[in-house]
Parts: sequence; C-alpha cells; structure tokens
Amino acid sequence: MSGVNLTKESLAFLQDQFRSYYKKSDLSVPDRFSRREYAFVFFGGKGMLRHLGFSKKKQFQAFLQKKAPMHAYYSTAYYQYPDAPRMNEKEWMGAELIFDLDADHLPDADNITYETQLELVKIEFIKLVDDFLMNDFGFPIESMELYFSGGRGYHCHVKHPSVYQLSSGDRREIVDYITGRDLNASVVFHEESMGRAQIKGKTVSTGKRLRMPKPDEPGWRGRISQGLIDILEDIVQSNDPLLKLKGYGVSEYTAKKLLDDLSENRILRIKQGHLDQSTTIRRFFLNNALRKKAVSFAAGETDEPVTCDVKRLIRLPGSLHGKTGFKVIPVSLDTLDDFDPLSEAVIFDKTPVLVDVGVDVTVTLKKETFELTTGNQEVPLFVAVFLLGKKLANIK
Amino acid sequence: MKPLNTLARYPFLKDAKTYVKNQGIAVTELIKDPLYDRARSIAIERVEHAFEHKDVGVRQLSKESDCIMELFSYPLSRMITCCINDSYFTRRYALGEAVRFYKNLIKENTFFLVDIVKEFNLNIQFDGENQHLSIYFTDYLTHAPTRYKHWKLVNRELQNGYISLSSKDLSRVTQEALRHRINNELLDKPCHELIQKTFSEEIQRLQNKIATQRKNNETIPVGKLDVKKLPPCIKRILADVQAGENVPHMGRFALVSFLNSLKLSTQDIIDLFNTAPDFDEEKSRYQIEHITGGVSSTSYKPPGCDKLKTYGLCPSEEIDRICKKTHHPLSYYRYKWKIENKRKKKKSDKKPNKKNEA
Repeated sequence: MSGVNLTKESLAFLQDQFRSYYKKSDLSVPDRFSRREYAFVFFGGKGMLRHLGFSKKKQFQAFLQKKAPMHAYYSTAYYQYPDAPRMNEKEWMGAELIFDLDADHLPDADNITYETQLELVKIEFIKLVDDFLMNDFGFPIESMELYFSGGRGYHCHVKHPSVYQLSSGDRREIVDYITGRDLNASVVFHEESMGRAQIKGKTVSTGKRLRMPKPDEPGWRGRISQGLIDILEDIVQSNDPLLKLKGYGVSEYTAKKLLDDLSENRILRIKQGHLDQSTTIRRFFLNNALRKKAVSFAAGETDEPVTCDVKRLIRLPGSLHGKTGFKVIPVSLDTLDDFDPLSEAVIFDKTPVLVDVGVDVTVTLKKETFELTTGNQEVPLFVAVFLLGKKLANIK
Repeated sequence: MKPLNTLARYPFLKDAKTYVKNQGIAVTELIKDPLYDRARSIAIERVEHAFEHKDVGVRQLSKESDCIMELFSYPLSRMITCCINDSYFTRRYALGEAVRFYKNLIKENTFFLVDIVKEFNLNIQFDGENQHLSIYFTDYLTHAPTRYKHWKLVNRELQNGYISLSSKDLSRVTQEALRHRINNELLDKPCHELIQKTFSEEIQRLQNKIATQRKNNETIPVGKLDVKKLPPCIKRILADVQAGENVPHMGRFALVSFLNSLKLSTQDIIDLFNTAPDFDEEKSRYQIEHITGGVSSTSYKPPGCDKLKTYGLCPSEEIDRICKKTHHPLSYYRYKWKIENKRKKKKSDKKPNKKNEA
C-alpha cells in the first residue's frame, strides 16, 4: 500500500528524525560485536551497503548518528573476518538460530488491517516460542531474545550454546518439525489388532483399529491428539455442525459424510483414544489438527530461508524500521499477550507536523485513531513519520 | 579394560588403542616384521572390502592370535588409506568401518551400547529400569540420516530437547558418528613413507580401481542435454522458465548453475531460455555469465537437495526412487546416465550371442 513518491524534503525530514533518535539513544550492540557483519540501507540510496565491520562500539554509534540509516542489519553469523568483501573469505565461525515470522506471507495480507495482521502473527509467534522452542526443543527462556521487528512481525533469536554450529540442513529439519512438514500419519496413529483367530492353522487378525496417542504424550503425537479433541468439541458443541465443518474447508459432501460417521458412540470412542478405520475421519482430523497446531504457513509463516540460512542479515535490535519509524524492541513471553506494538514501538513525540496526505487512510497509533483524507493537515510527529515511511504522505 | 575379542571387533575404541600401545610394538615392526604378516594382509582386506562392499568384512576371532592380528590390522588400514590419498576413497573406507560397527552393535545389549556411545561424546539419556533411550536433538541432527522420511525430526518424539529412540536407531546414529570421526581423522593425515614402500603394489592397484570407477562415473555426454534424465526439481524450473512464468531468483540460479556443470555453454543455455515470451537475450546473457563465471570472478556450483528444499524448489510430490538415493541434482542426472549405459551395454553384449546362436 503506497501512494506517493517521497520528495527530497520528506527523505531529509525522515533522516533528521532518525538521526535525532540515534543521537539520544544508547543503542546496545549485539554480542560478539566485532565478529559480526553490518549492513545498511540509506534514505534515498540505492541498494544496500554491506560487508562492514566495526571494532569499537563508539565507532559504531558514531556511524549510526552520522549516517542515520533507513534500515540497519547485522549478521546472525559471526566471522573471523566479518568485513571481507566475499562471503567465502569471511570464515564462518557459527550463527544464532533465527526465526522470522512476518505477515508478508499472509494469504490475503492486503485485505486485513495492519493491526489484525500483527495479532495473527503474534499468535503464531507465541506458539513457536512456547510450544515448540521451549517445550519440545527445551530451550530455556533465558537463551532466547524476542523482538518486535518494527514492521509486520516478530523475530526470535535463539542463543543457546547448542545451536551455533548447526548446519543449514539441521536448521531445515527444525523448521520442518515446527511446521509439521512431512509428518507421517503412521507415527501418530498406530494400527492395532483387535483380536486374532486361527483359520486353517493360520493366525489372522480379526480386525484393526487405529490407536490415537494420548493428549499428554510428548511432541507431535500429543499435539495431534489435542488438536483433534479441540476440533471435535468445536464441531459437537456448535449449533450448526454442518456449517462448522464447512468452515474447516471441507466440501458439503464430505461434511455430510463426516457427520454421518460421527455418531455419539463414535465420538465417545475417539475421546477414549480409538480412531476407527474410517479414512474420511482419519484424513480430516490429521490434516486439520496439524494445521491447528503447527506454526502455520497460512498465518505468518516462519520465513524458512531465514532460519536455514546460516549467513543471514537480520534487523538490528534497537534500530528504527525505515518503513514505519517503529523501533525494534525486545518483548517478553509473559507480557506478549498484551503487547501492543502499535503503541510500544512508537518512539516519536506529538510535535505537530504539516503533511500532504496522498491517499485516504485510517491509522491507529498509540491507541489513537487518525482518519485522514487527502490534502494538507497537521498530525503528530509519530503519525507523520509513519505516513512518510509508508509513502502515504509528503512533508509540506 | 574390555575383553580382547571385544577390542578386536571394535578396534577404534580407546581401550583398543591403549591395548595396542601397551604392547610396545614399534610402527616399523608392524610394517616389516614377518610376525605381523597376517595383520598386514587383513589390513589390505579391510580397505579393499570397504571400497567394494561398503563393509570392512568379518574374520574369525576364535583364537587369541586372531584377535591380536585383527586389532593390529586397524591402524595399518588407516595408514594405507592415507597413502592412497584420495578423499573419495577415504570416505568409502570410513563408511566400511562404520557399517561393520553398526552390524556388530545391533547384536549387543543396551548397556554395552550406552557404554560405547560415551566414547563419541553423544549427549544421551538412559533409563536403565525401563530401557528407555533418548538423545539430545543437536547430536541427532548431526548424525541421523534425516534424508529418510522416518528419520526426519518431525517423525520423532521430541521432548525437552531429547528424542526417544530404540537401541537399533541409536546404533545407526553412532555408526554415522564413527564414520564422521574416521573421515575427519584421516582427512589431512600425511602418508607414512614406510607404508608407501611396503604396500606400494597394493596402493597402486587400489588407486587404479578408483580411477577406473571415476572414469565410468564421469562419462557424462557433453553438448546435448537429455531432458528425460533431469531430476524433477530442475525439470520443473526449466518448464516454468520456458513457459515464461515467474521463477524466483534461486530457481534461475539453480537451473543455470546446473546446466553449466553439465558443461553447456552460455549460448546453449540462452537457447534453452529462448522460448520464454519475455525473453531478453542481452539481459539473460549477462545474468547467466554472472553465474557461470564469465562476468564475475566466481563460478558457482549448483545447489544441492538441501538448499533446494530450503527454498521450496524441491517438488515433494514428485520425489522418486532416485531422488531418495542422491543428495544432489547432478548425482541424479549422472545416475540416470549410468543406468542407461548399463542397459545399452547389456543389449550390445547380448546381440553377438544371438548371432552365434543363429
């Protein structure tokens, strides 16, 4: 969503505001500071300036204050020679494990509001950190740094000693685990023989059923069970089960078939841990339980190449995002539920600024809604920076 | 100290090393003294068997002398491998030792296995009461063959960083750990002069074997591309490019670097791209030469299966039998050539026979 081309004055205005922030703030720097590569995009500049290394914190801060970049990044990897111009000369030493959840990948990102996008990504992010990284992978919360990205998502940096040397392939396995890709149904549901009989001297099975894992079983097995029971309750308790089922994306025909199959007796048996051999039921539940419990690709997928790339650049914590003016700020898992990025990451003040709005737009920042129509008007500084960053207005 | 016949079956363990050391035999004796003739011939057998059958083989270990000779053959095998001085051969040898290790290990009880695993610095947990085994996930990822679906992390039980697994699966993981260890240990080790001298004939023979095998593998026809032999990923990218569909950068890169590795010229590659409706020859030439090394200083190697999967370029529903055997689109292509060549050879072998019958 962009409406205007930014004028030179607008770019200079944004840069001035960013500079004043960098002059005031005491930006903390990443650990292994001098082993990292740094990269910047400048206001009005073309492309990215990268392969920079800094040996002193002061020198780095002076750089930020002088250049006031539009975007600032650092490498998740640390190198022997971070400023070598070619990647293979840098001599990779290790890299933190990164997860980047961003609303960019939402299927209909343009049709839902910015606030909703951020909410959806947040739900996925909590699932990622709490369910997967802490429970399954056992990373203690102290070994993770969580940030609002300043744009449309959240970043998780895992800095546990066990992850630094993981190869790109190892990291892909972790992503596949979290997204549930390639999960084998047979791992979850065990075929169980109901009895045996002797026929003409041979032992044959008299019938088979599927045994479902218990909801408190570790890893994906328990997770699928939980998802399955959630869905079951959701359907059974609904006033219009058929409509509910269709909401899960099944056709009218399948929905009817499913409802026929889901007799009261059967529901009871499923809750007791026995899923019968009905393929329709099995497939429906497995797919939907998976979708429900995995860190979903539909709503804020973890940007896979980011996690798997062991030489990635990621936005510098504490820096400002050039397309919003928001600060990349740390968030904590305990307070994430109530965290409102559109208030807490907004750092500019209310000084009135005269802008020329290019498109009709409604913006909610710091819990205040601004309904703006095209033309000249005064808005608080934090709104002005946001509008300019999003290319919705120019400075007057 | 473990019993001698255990050491003979697991000659890479610390105890085995200590045992050999305590015997106080100089390397020169081991190489020259007629007393160790048998150890030397076992050493050659180990190496050769590993190269040809992916297993160093088994020998009788009933007498004490059997065990001692077996034990001494191990350091000799390693030294011979170093003198063959070929990284492919070293990998094969490491695999051979590791495979035999696995076959022995699955016959042992869990306590023995747990004891052995300690030597490989694998972070495992063992609950002796109910025989429950688990391994820390990073060690699992480093060694487990996750290219197979049932070995993928997602199909394992993971809790608090530990993965539950059977003793058989732990043996398999440990096999890989040994393979990595031997491979790394031998990688940059120099050749012992005396070994080179004593085994010069055998070393030469094995080197010739490698050369022959390599030549058979490398006879990839240059020039015309056989589209039928392309792996599913490359085939799909090529089809998309030719249809003028929007192919992501990594896809174009994979395709061009792949074709370049088959020694297609820039012009050949441009001609393949030519059918795209939005084709711009100058732009394509520049981009292609950037990848093949015409413009930039580096010539890039095509990405392997891992990377293609990461970038979502591996069409998982089209993965076939050959994909599962290989880790790289180039190996896939080579493999298909190999099969066809074999078939052709069989045919041509048969033909003269028929004539004779007639």
